[in-house]
Amino acid sequence: MSVYNEKRQSLWLETWHRLRKNKAAVIGLVILVFLILVAIFADVIAPYDFRAQDLNATFVKPNSTHWFGTDNFGRDIFSRVVYGSRISLQIGFIAVGIALFVGGFIGAVSGYFGGIFDTLFMRLVDVMLAVPTILLAISIVAVLGPGITNLMIAVGVSSIPSYARIVRANVMSIKEMQYIEAARAMGTTNVSIILKHVIPNTLAPVIVQSTIGVAGAILSAAGLGFIGLGIQPPNPEWGSMLNAGRHFIRDHPHLTTYPGLAIMITILSLNLLGDGLRDVLDPKLKD
Amino acid sequence: MVKYIFRRILLVIPVMIGVSFLVFTMIHFTPGDPVITILGETASQESIDQLREELGLNDPFLVQYFNYVKNIVVDQDLGRSYVTNRPVTNEIVSKFPNTLRLALLGVLVSISIGIPLGIISAVKQYTWVDNIAMFFALIGVSMPIFWQGILLIILFSVTFRILPSSGFNTWQQMILPALTLGTGSAAIVARMTRSSMLEVYRQDYIRTARSKGLGEFTVVVRHALRNTLIPVVTIVGLQFGFLLGGAIVTETIFSIPGVGRLMVDAIRQRDMLIVQGGVLMIAFTFSIINLFVDIMYAFLDPKIRAQYK
Amino acid sequence: MMKKKSAILLSLGIIFGLLVAGCAPSTPTPGKDSLVVAMGGNPVTLDPHGSNDQASSRVHRQIYETLIYQTEGLDLVPALATSWTQIDDLTFEFKLKAGVTFHNGEPLTASDVKFTLERALASAFIGHIVGPLDKESITVVDDLTIRLATTRPFAPLLTHLAHPAMAILNEKAVTEGGEDYGTNPVGTGPFKFVSWDFDEKVTLERFDDYHATKALLREIVFRIIPDNTVRTIELETGGADIIFDIQPADVSRVDADPTLTLVRDANLSVTYIGFNVEKAPFNDVRVRQAINLAIDMEAVVNTVYAGVGSPAKGPLGPNVFGANMDLEGWDRDVDAAKALLADAGYADGFTTTLWTNDNLQRVQIAEIVQNQLAAVGITVEIVEVEWSKYLADTAAGLHDMFILGWTTVTADADYGLFALFHSSAKGTPGNRTFYANARVDELLDLGRTTTDQAARLAAYKEAQEIIRDEAPWVFTWTGENISGTHSSVRGFLQHPAGHHRLDKVSFSE
Repeated sequence: MSVYNEKRQSLWLETWHRLRKNKAAVIGLVILVFLILVAIFADVIAPYDFRAQDLNATFVKPNSTHWFGTDNFGRDIFSRVVYGSRISLQIGFIAVGIALFVGGFIGAVSGYFGGIFDTLFMRLVDVMLAVPTILLAISIVAVLGPGITNLMIAVGVSSIPSYARIVRANVMSIKEMQYIEAARAMGTTNVSIILKHVIPNTLAPVIVQSTIGVAGAILSAAGLGFIGLGIQPPNPEWGSMLNAGRHFIRDHPHLTTYPGLAIMITILSLNLLGDGLRDVLDPKLKD
Repeated sequence: MVKYIFRRILLVIPVMIGVSFLVFTMIHFTPGDPVITILGETASQESIDQLREELGLNDPFLVQYFNYVKNIVVDQDLGRSYVTNRPVTNEIVSKFPNTLRLALLGVLVSISIGIPLGIISAVKQYTWVDNIAMFFALIGVSMPIFWQGILLIILFSVTFRILPSSGFNTWQQMILPALTLGTGSAAIVARMTRSSMLEVYRQDYIRTARSKGLGEFTVVVRHALRNTLIPVVTIVGLQFGFLLGGAIVTETIFSIPGVGRLMVDAIRQRDMLIVQGGVLMIAFTFSIINLFVDIMYAFLDPKIRAQYK
Repeated sequence: MMKKKSAILLSLGIIFGLLVAGCAPSTPTPGKDSLVVAMGGNPVTLDPHGSNDQASSRVHRQIYETLIYQTEGLDLVPALATSWTQIDDLTFEFKLKAGVTFHNGEPLTASDVKFTLERALASAFIGHIVGPLDKESITVVDDLTIRLATTRPFAPLLTHLAHPAMAILNEKAVTEGGEDYGTNPVGTGPFKFVSWDFDEKVTLERFDDYHATKALLREIVFRIIPDNTVRTIELETGGADIIFDIQPADVSRVDADPTLTLVRDANLSVTYIGFNVEKAPFNDVRVRQAINLAIDMEAVVNTVYAGVGSPAKGPLGPNVFGANMDLEGWDRDVDAAKALLADAGYADGFTTTLWTNDNLQRVQIAEIVQNQLAAVGITVEIVEVEWSKYLADTAAGLHDMFILGWTTVTADADYGLFALFHSSAKGTPGNRTFYANARVDELLDLGRTTTDQAARLAAYKEAQEIIRDEAPWVFTWTGENISGTHSSVRGFLQHPAGHHRLDKVSFSE
């Protein structure tokens, strides 16, 4: 067993080394880490309370007291963007987490055991896939009601089918591999095989998908906010800030510019990282 | 192979039934009373009860579902909107072409931008050209659609006054919505083209072509491109789902009378039958497209074809 | 291989061509006799009995007429009825104008009126506007005379008959139209229906056989443009000649633009924050008054509405018949608020919830109120509730505080007060504060039944004073209709209820 672990460790190290050579991916990673730090230390970084209103100082343009200016309630936009990182990252990671675990589980079980499980689960996935993701998410939010938690659930659940599919496809191809046959011949239980062999080897495409999935989840949340199914006030989620500020975009563009840029930079970094990981982990491009 | 195709086509039916039941159930459990939503704050209890009775909403859940399915199968009748009382079928059929047109134009934009960018990136892999091209492609995907839309409108309609800001009848009116929608998936198409091209590029026959003395351009366009495009085509099919979703926001910003906007308004108003009918229609289109993609995939990739024998 | 590639290219080309080709330019270029009006709402149906939404009314206002017309100045003048007499306490007799034809050529007769009124009474959507009419009493006396009565004395009957939902329909057209009548309306108005591209535009055309002064324009096209920012842009770039409902953020821009004209008038809507007066601590009038004193309504209105509309001093807007303009506003006085709270036993404040639906302005009001009440020790949690649940739950009295609006569509104090403050209207009919005051009940009953105008005014004046003092509401905002037109547009007048008539509109040279 220790041989496997060592091998896997050196595999990860190799991946890490290759990743470091991909400049774009490194930039993406650095930005992401920066954003996560901002989210964690928001209390320290933000100079104002994100809900503090000053109705006499509305629409202040960016200056030395308000780096990003103030919004229509006189709230400091910089502080709101900083706190917003918490919410947006939370939404992204948790939504993908839900999709990953539930979808991955379904996919793994379907792919490995096949038979009735497979047919049943995959028909269910087909049904969910037949409806465009955002429509599914909108429907779920309509059922559950607005709010951050429900938003995460909606975006997460609507993404389950794609993860199920990816994992299943991978598991199916791994299943036929020789070392799995060997393990089974040795008498290892199915559960053990799935946990120790199948899942670790499906990680590559799943990691790539998840990285990009976080980006997608953040954008979906913004989209839902536009339709009016977003976050409750006065939470400074970037998408809601963008949506609330768009009415003033012609005279006071700074209300949308900064949350918009924040979203863009986050999505960009996630995509760069994801692309880099794909380059690194895709066997066909290894040379 | 033919058996596989036939089986896949047949599978569409249970999927549609599943979708209709799923949507019906979800709507039923969605909080929100369509009658009160429609009648508003001035309604008396009598009016509310009256309308509820008129719309058949007092029947138990399964009875309503059964009646609904019966109407579809026997009369091809998807019912009438609770809000406008217009036939659901007409509503959806009149708006579907707009959404389809928007999505297809979005596909056009995304491949017009994505494929050239991907090719350039692949040919100049790891140079600064590669990075810049990919960066530009990513910008499109990183901006929330509604922000992009409004910025484009302000830029082209207000500042430059060369394009209209709403509507979807003249070709000028179609440019901005298509751009807004298409740039999002351009990055993914570019990415796919790039990796596919990179793979094809290393093949022997490309080296042969180059050693024959053919110019780089000819090599790329005449020989490499064809095989590069195969996986790209399948990706584009998959992008359709993303585009249909993006159409919802685009239709609202640009005042396009499409199915996306219809769906969102219907969900908000709890106009059950429109939501039902719309989702069924969308799901059906989607299934057909997925089916097409799956078949293409199986057709082109011998490994997968073997699995489905 | 080459054939395959060119085949693909060819099919792509064909697809592209088809996509772009089949599109005829159908947005009319604003000319001298065709008016393009852009609005945000989406008309639901052109059957006035099929819906009560403003977008539909705005369109069918041009197609239909009522017996009595309420002018922009809120005077009642003859329309399809040339005269009317009150026969007894409950009964009126109307004489119809002769020689009026519908758009389908049918003549207007009293039987059409009878048919219309009976159908209106049966409508779940607008039945409440005809409410007190006694169905059995509607009698056709002769082709041009009709008699009707109410079940009990109802002073504002004539204003109700002037409401656009009381449009007179042609019996033949409605019966023949069946379920689809709403998409093929036939009226007597200055414009007739031409076509309707759902969710996109409605086209109307001048009716040349109109019984009074013909419309000045040949054609009106109503364009549906939901996004407020884009709609203003359409006005600026010439895509529309008139736009309705300019958002507060764009008001100064349109005002400053020399090629555009801003049109703004007080409307009949009021926004309020209601208390549940049957629930502690809001059953104590001192608490309610304290909250009124703690809120700086000017600041709220300036921030949320950017100077559009005005802070409300009472429950009625300034142009409603019977509005008491002498009411004293609850100006901000934090110390007085704290004192009252202490008096009532809440020196340390309390925690409560404020409900709102997803209406943008209401949410913003909630955010500011939350902030301002914190200053007097009241912690407010904002809860956004889905619309129909919102209406159902406030009708059931499950709330603490809530934000809602009301439009006095008839511009008569009865409509603006009875449903909101009479004890018999608790719950669904409109009194969601569950307010009950015996004297107010008495006064509202009096106002509703006596036809003596002076007595009505006096009753409503007093009722409003009591309501103001007892503060079942935080009186928030009375609204404005804000439209914008191109500077070449003439004759555009806004009706306070929001459904503006367009037959006097024309373009200057």
